[in-house]
Amino acid sequence: MSATAWIELIASGLITGGIYALVALGLNLQYGLMRILNIAHGEFLMLGAYLTWAATTLLGLSPLVMLPLSFGVMFGVGVVVHRLCFKRLTETSLTLDIFEARGLMVSFGLMFLVQNLVSMVWGGDLRGYDYLTDPVHFGSMQFAANKLLVFALALLFSAGLIALLKFTLLGKGVRALMQSPTGAQLVGIDTKRLHPLMFGIGLGLSALAGCLLSMTYTIAPAMGEPYTVTALIVITLGGFGSMGGALAGGLLLGVVEALGMHFTSPSLKMLLSYGVFIAVLLLRPKGLFTRKTRDA
Amino acid sequence: MPERKVLWRDLLVLAALTGWALALPHYASEFVASLALTCFMYIALASSWALFCGLSRYLSLATSAFFGIGAYTSALALEHMPWLHAVALGALLAAAVALLMGAAVLHLRGTYFAVLTFGMTELIRHALSYFEKQVSGTVGRVLTIVPERNTVYLTVLALAVLALATSIAVRRSRFGLALAGIGSDEQRAQTLGVGTRSVKTAGFALTAAFAGAVGAAMAVRWTYIDPPTVFNPFIGFQTVLIALIGGATTLWGPLIAAIVFSLLAETLRLQLPQLYMMALGVLLILCVLHLPGGVASLRWSTFAAWWRDTRQWWRERREEDTEQERKARRQRDRETRNV
Amino acid sequence: MSDVAGPLLEARHVTVRFGGLIAVDDISASFGAGELVGIIGPNGAGKTTFFNALSGVMVPTAGRLLARGRDLTGARPHRYARHGIARTFQTPRVFAEMTLAENVRFGLRFAGRRRRAETWGPAWLAAWIDRVGAPWPWRRRPGVSWLLRNELSILNVIGLAHLADMPAAAVTPSQQRLLEIGMALATRPRILLLDEVAAGLTESELQDMAQLIRRVRDELDITVVWIEHAVTTLLRHVERVLVLHQGRMIADGTPAEVVRNAEVIEAYLGDEMVEEGVA
Repeated sequence: MSATAWIELIASGLITGGIYALVALGLNLQYGLMRILNIAHGEFLMLGAYLTWAATTLLGLSPLVMLPLSFGVMFGVGVVVHRLCFKRLTETSLTLDIFEARGLMVSFGLMFLVQNLVSMVWGGDLRGYDYLTDPVHFGSMQFAANKLLVFALALLFSAGLIALLKFTLLGKGVRALMQSPTGAQLVGIDTKRLHPLMFGIGLGLSALAGCLLSMTYTIAPAMGEPYTVTALIVITLGGFGSMGGALAGGLLLGVVEALGMHFTSPSLKMLLSYGVFIAVLLLRPKGLFTRKTRDA
Repeated sequence: MPERKVLWRDLLVLAALTGWALALPHYASEFVASLALTCFMYIALASSWALFCGLSRYLSLATSAFFGIGAYTSALALEHMPWLHAVALGALLAAAVALLMGAAVLHLRGTYFAVLTFGMTELIRHALSYFEKQVSGTVGRVLTIVPERNTVYLTVLALAVLALATSIAVRRSRFGLALAGIGSDEQRAQTLGVGTRSVKTAGFALTAAFAGAVGAAMAVRWTYIDPPTVFNPFIGFQTVLIALIGGATTLWGPLIAAIVFSLLAETLRLQLPQLYMMALGVLLILCVLHLPGGVASLRWSTFAAWWRDTRQWWRERREEDTEQERKARRQRDRETRNV
Repeated sequence: MSDVAGPLLEARHVTVRFGGLIAVDDISASFGAGELVGIIGPNGAGKTTFFNALSGVMVPTAGRLLARGRDLTGARPHRYARHGIARTFQTPRVFAEMTLAENVRFGLRFAGRRRRAETWGPAWLAAWIDRVGAPWPWRRRPGVSWLLRNELSILNVIGLAHLADMPAAAVTPSQQRLLEIGMALATRPRILLLDEVAAGLTESELQDMAQLIRRVRDELDITVVWIEHAVTTLLRHVERVLVLHQGRMIADGTPAEVVRNAEVIEAYLGDEMVEEGVA
C-alpha cells in the first residue's frame, strides 16, 4: 500500500476518532464527576444530529449556525434532565454502588424515551443533507471538505473543554470535585450548581458531536447506541476522569478501527472495538495512560 | 417458622398458576393462547434475569444475545436431534458464552458490566452475520422441522415454571445469600468468605441458560430467522424493564409485570409502538426515582411516604417564598434607611 | 488439626506502592496464637493499607503473606477469610437491608462454615438442641469457641442480642461498629484485624470496647491485631505494639519498650506520654 493510502487511512481514522473523543469527553465529565453512567448519551447525540438536520433542511440554516444552537438547546435539556431525574437519586441512594446502578437504570429509561420520541416525530428512515461535499486536495491525497471541517471542529472543542477545565476557576472546581467530593465541598465549591452545569455541558458536547456527524453521514434514530458503547470504550482506554486520556483514547480508537476495518472487514468494526476494550480491561484496567497500580 | 409458611404459599401459588395455564389451550381461542405464550416467555426471561441481576445489582443487558444464540441453536440443531435436546443445547451454548464473557468482565464493577453487555447483543449479531455470510453463504435460516403448537406451549410454560421454581430455591439457598451479599457490599462479602467471581459467573450463566432455552423454544414460531430478527435488542430491553418495574429483588414482581406488559405490548405495540416504548421509558424512570423496589414493593406505607414527601416538598416551597419575602423586606428597609 | 505449620499470619518484606507513593515500606511482622497486638502510628503511616494487604483486599507490590505457613500472596480476599483471617473496616460496612441477625449469620454461612463449633452432627440439629435447651452431650471441638456457635450467641458476645431483628441501617453507628466485629467473629477466625474500632466512642464505651477485645482474645481464643488512635487505652491493654511511621515499622515490642524508644517519641508520642507513665 502506498504512503498516501496509508496517510488517507490514518487520517480517516483520526477524523472518526475526533468525534469519538468529543462524545467520550462528555461522558467522562458526567461519569468522572457525578458517577452517572449515561447510557442515553448517544441518544442526545442523535437528537443533536436531528435538530441540525431539521434546521438545515426545513429552515435553511447553515449547520455551522446550528453548532452553538444545538449545544445551547441540549445544555438546557441537560440541566432540566438532571434536575428531574438525577438530583433525587443523590439524595435517596444509600451507597455509591446503588447510586450508580440507579443512575444507569434512569438513563436506560431515557434512552427509550428519546429514541422513540425521535422515531415517532421524524420517522425511522435514514435522513441526511449535503454540506461542503467537495473534495479538498493535499498533494495527491484528497478528503471531503466536510470531513476535514468536522475533524478540525472536534479537535477545537475538545481542546476547548480541556483548556476550560485546566485554566479556569470553574474548571479547577470541577477537577477538585472529581478527585475529592467531600473535600471540594468543604472549601466552598457548590455541588448543587456545578452538577447540573456539567451534566448540561456533557450533553451539549454530545449534541455538538451529533451536529458535526450530521454534516457528513446519514442519520437514523438508532444511530446513537454504537456511539455510547464506543464512548465507554474510549473512557476506559484513557482512564476514568482523565480528559486528556479521553482525547488521546478517542483518536487512537478511531485509527485502530480504520486500520482494522481496512485489513479485515468493515462488519468486524464492533468486534475490533470490543476486542480492544476487553484487552485493555484485562491488562491495564486503570487505562492506557495512567500509571500501573495493583488492586485485588 | 415463618419462612416455611412463605415457602408453602409460594409453591401453592405456583402450582395453581401452572394448573390454570395448562388448562388454557383447551377452552380459550388461539389468539389468547398465543398471548399466553408471550406471557410465559417474558415470565421466564424476567424471573431468571431478576434472579441474578436483581440480587447482585449486576445489570445484564445481554438477554437478547443469549436469546438469539438459543434461537440459532434450535434452528440448526432441530434437523439432527429431538426437540427437548435442541432446547437444552440452546441453554448450554448460551451458558457457555456467558461463562466466556463473564470470565472476561465480571470482575469489574457493575456499571462496566452493564454497558459491556449492552453492546454484546450487537457484537454477537455482527459476528454471526459475518460468519453466516462468509462460511455458510446464507443470510438467514429456514426452519423445516417444527414441532406442533402444543409442544411449544408446554415447553415455554415449563420454562416459566422452572424459572420461578429456581428463583424460589435460590433465594433460600446459600447461593442466593451470596448474590444478595454481592449486591449489598461486594467487597465486604468477599472478606466474609464469598468467592465472588465464581458466584457471579454461575449466576450469569444461569440467566443466560434460561434466555437461551427460551430463545430455542420460541424460534420455531418464526419459519425463517435471520440475525436481526432473533437478536432484536428489544426483547432484552423489555425483559429488563419488566423485571425492574415489577421489582427485581422480589419473586412475584417480575411475574406480575410480565403479565401486564405482555398484554399491553400485544395490544399497543402494533398500533403505537413508539408511544408504548416511550411510556415504558417514563415508567422505568418514575419507578427508579420513587419506587426503587418495583411494583411488588408497594405497601400502604409507600403511599403514606409519598404523601409525606409531597407535603414536605410543598412546605419547603412555601418556606422559600416567605424567605424571599423576608429578604425583600430587609432590602427595602436598608434602602429606606440609607435615604 | 494442629497449627504447627507456622505463625498464624506472617508478613515478609511487604511493600505497597500507589504509583509514586509508598504506603507500606518493607514491613515484616508475624502474629502467633493468643497474641493481643496493637498497631499505632500517625495518620498516613500506612496502617490501614497494611491491614488491606494482610486481609487480601490489596495485593502488595512486593513481599509475601503467609498464613500458617501457606503462601497467600495474591490470592483473593475470600481465600484469606477462609484461612481464618477476619477484619473490620474503618467505616462500618454492614449489609444495610438485612437484620443484625442476618448480617452475623452471613459470616457463619460462608467462611465460618469451615470451622464448626460442634464436633459432629448437622448444624440444624445443633440449633434445635440449643433452642430446646437440652444439654449438649457431644464433645465440642477444641480451637473454636462454643460462643461462636450461632448468630444469637455471637450477638450476645457483642451485646446486641436485643436488636437482633432490626435492620442494620436503623442502628446507631457505634452499634454498627459492634455489628462489624460480630460479622467478623462469625467467620470463626483465628486472627482478627480491628481497624480503629474505638473512634468516636465515649470514655465508658471505650472501656467496654477494650473489655470486649480482651474477651475475644481470652475466651474465644482469637488473636487480635488492633489499630488505634486512642493510644493510651490501647497501650494499657495490649501486650505487644507495632509502631508505623510513613510506611515503615519503627518499633516492635512491649508497650513499656515502645514508649521509651527514641524514634517513636520523636515521630509520634511526644514527651508527655513518657511523663504520663504509660505502660
